[in-house]
Amino acid sequence: MRKQRSSPLLSLLMILAAAVVGVPFYYIVVNTFKTQAETSSSPLAPPTSLYLDNYIRVFENTPILQSFLNTLYVTVASIVIMLVIGSMAAYAMLLRHTLVNRVIAVLLVIAFLVPGQATLIPVYRILVELELVDTLEGLVFLYAAGSIFCYFLIQGYLRSLPISIFEAARIDGAGPWQIYWRIVLPLIRPILITVGVFQTMWIWNDFITPNVFISSPDKQTLVLQVYKAVGQYSVDWPAFMTLSVIVLIPVVIFFVAMQRHIVNGLLQGSVKG
Amino acid sequence: MTALGRRAPALTGALSWLTSPKTLEGLRLQAFLVPIGIVFAVLFAIPLAQSLYFSVTDFNGYSLDVNFVGLENYRKIFTDPSMLAGLGFTLLYAIGTTVIVTVLAIPLAVLLNKRFFGRNVVRAVFFFPAIPSIAILGLVWGFILSPLGSGAINWLLDAVGGFGPVPWLSDGTLAQLSVIVVAVWSSTGWHAILYLAYLQSIPGDYYEAARVDGASPRQSFFRITLPLLAPAITVSSLLLMTGGLKVYDLPYTLTKGGPGYATFTITQSIIQSGIAQAKFGQASALAVVFMLVVGAIVAVQLVLSRRLEDRVS
Repeated sequence: MRKQRSSPLLSLLMILAAAVVGVPFYYIVVNTFKTQAETSSSPLAPPTSLYLDNYIRVFENTPILQSFLNTLYVTVASIVIMLVIGSMAAYAMLLRHTLVNRVIAVLLVIAFLVPGQATLIPVYRILVELELVDTLEGLVFLYAAGSIFCYFLIQGYLRSLPISIFEAARIDGAGPWQIYWRIVLPLIRPILITVGVFQTMWIWNDFITPNVFISSPDKQTLVLQVYKAVGQYSVDWPAFMTLSVIVLIPVVIFFVAMQRHIVNGLLQGSVKG
Repeated sequence: MTALGRRAPALTGALSWLTSPKTLEGLRLQAFLVPIGIVFAVLFAIPLAQSLYFSVTDFNGYSLDVNFVGLENYRKIFTDPSMLAGLGFTLLYAIGTTVIVTVLAIPLAVLLNKRFFGRNVVRAVFFFPAIPSIAILGLVWGFILSPLGSGAINWLLDAVGGFGPVPWLSDGTLAQLSVIVVAVWSSTGWHAILYLAYLQSIPGDYYEAARVDGASPRQSFFRITLPLLAPAITVSSLLLMTGGLKVYDLPYTLTKGGPGYATFTITQSIIQSGIAQAKFGQASALAVVFMLVVGAIVAVQLVLSRRLEDRVS
């Protein structure tokens, strides 16, 4: 195969295009270091000095830490629950091909295809009944719906493993729980990471669920907090940009650390989805 | 006593079947499906049945006097201007983003697949806008498109061409355009990476052979690349289409569905009428129609792309 030459012209073109795509991020970052006057006179200019008042003001006026902890709690709890439920189901489905299970498999496909909007109103009423509206646990409960997606991906991965591993363990006298904890979970670690990363992006970034179900300021997730802050900072643009940047920092770290897994999840999720 | 005595063998038979190691193990394994069964029942089956039920009744959430009203709620959807507007913009958004992102992402993927200085950074920059919450990006874009002096785009138009400010978010058509442009900005790189993965699996020999046979780069693109990308196009456009139909975050944060109902979406309509206004019947009918529309579009799209894939392979 002929080795492609690196083209300087293409390089220039692509870097320029990437710069255009990246400008909105540049815009919000530079404006966090400006006063309101500077932002309105020259929004795209680089900051003239290291002006940090916006950061101080935002940290003083917005309970970012509380929202961060709320988001972290909801995300971690939901991910653990959906990975456990999904992997348990995938494991049982792999080893038991009864008629009942084949019917269940079909039902799960149908459930997977039903858009959340179609069940939103009754689900809201169920949450009211359970007194879970406006609680973080209510969000975790709703996100458990993601188990079905996890089940599909984990099941696909389990199928690629030789079934003799489980048979051997069974013959050695291991019970279903032992096989699940000692053999299945360690073996499916790669897919658990991929699915976990993918679902983390969903929950961390989700806006519709907290916006519908959360009303107390002390139970806001980060995304909801930024949304609510627009009114508060409608004239104080630099403060809003600062809040956005602070909220985006963990996302950037996550992106850099997990890029490979994100791409994996994108590919696997797209194959299944 | 005799009856019991006669039944005893059957009973012990059932008991021994129940307590046999094989059955027990089967049941213990079946228990692994209980959690997902609960999720299915509580978050899908029961609510879905309730949606269907509400959609044919005049249930308002409080009154216990519930009457069957037939298809009345369905008729109301198609006479309610806000719901119709939501239906219209959602379709425009879904089709618009699917077409534009696909047309841009494929050539982008081809370019990102070539060797050039800074390739990894460029790939990451294109990919990144899909990572943060689109709700936050929608809010940020609200500032960028603002007509005020600090709105970056209007500031730029004024500085470069001396005109403006353009009412990006307060004119109906421009607002629709703005929402779609921001969506394209955020998801093109993501889909380009998807195409890139498929491109990387095309053997280089194909292009080499085509080059030897005197094919132009244009010909190789249309005769080799595009046909081999058919499965990727199916996947990507299906994701865009279903995601587009379910859209809520971006129009809601960028324009609040306005001006008027210009960028109102089905989802926003379901939430507004079903939860804020407690019009359960009508909102449920809209939810059912929405589900059927999504199902139908997905089915049509799958059939079409299956045909397309068959034709090119």
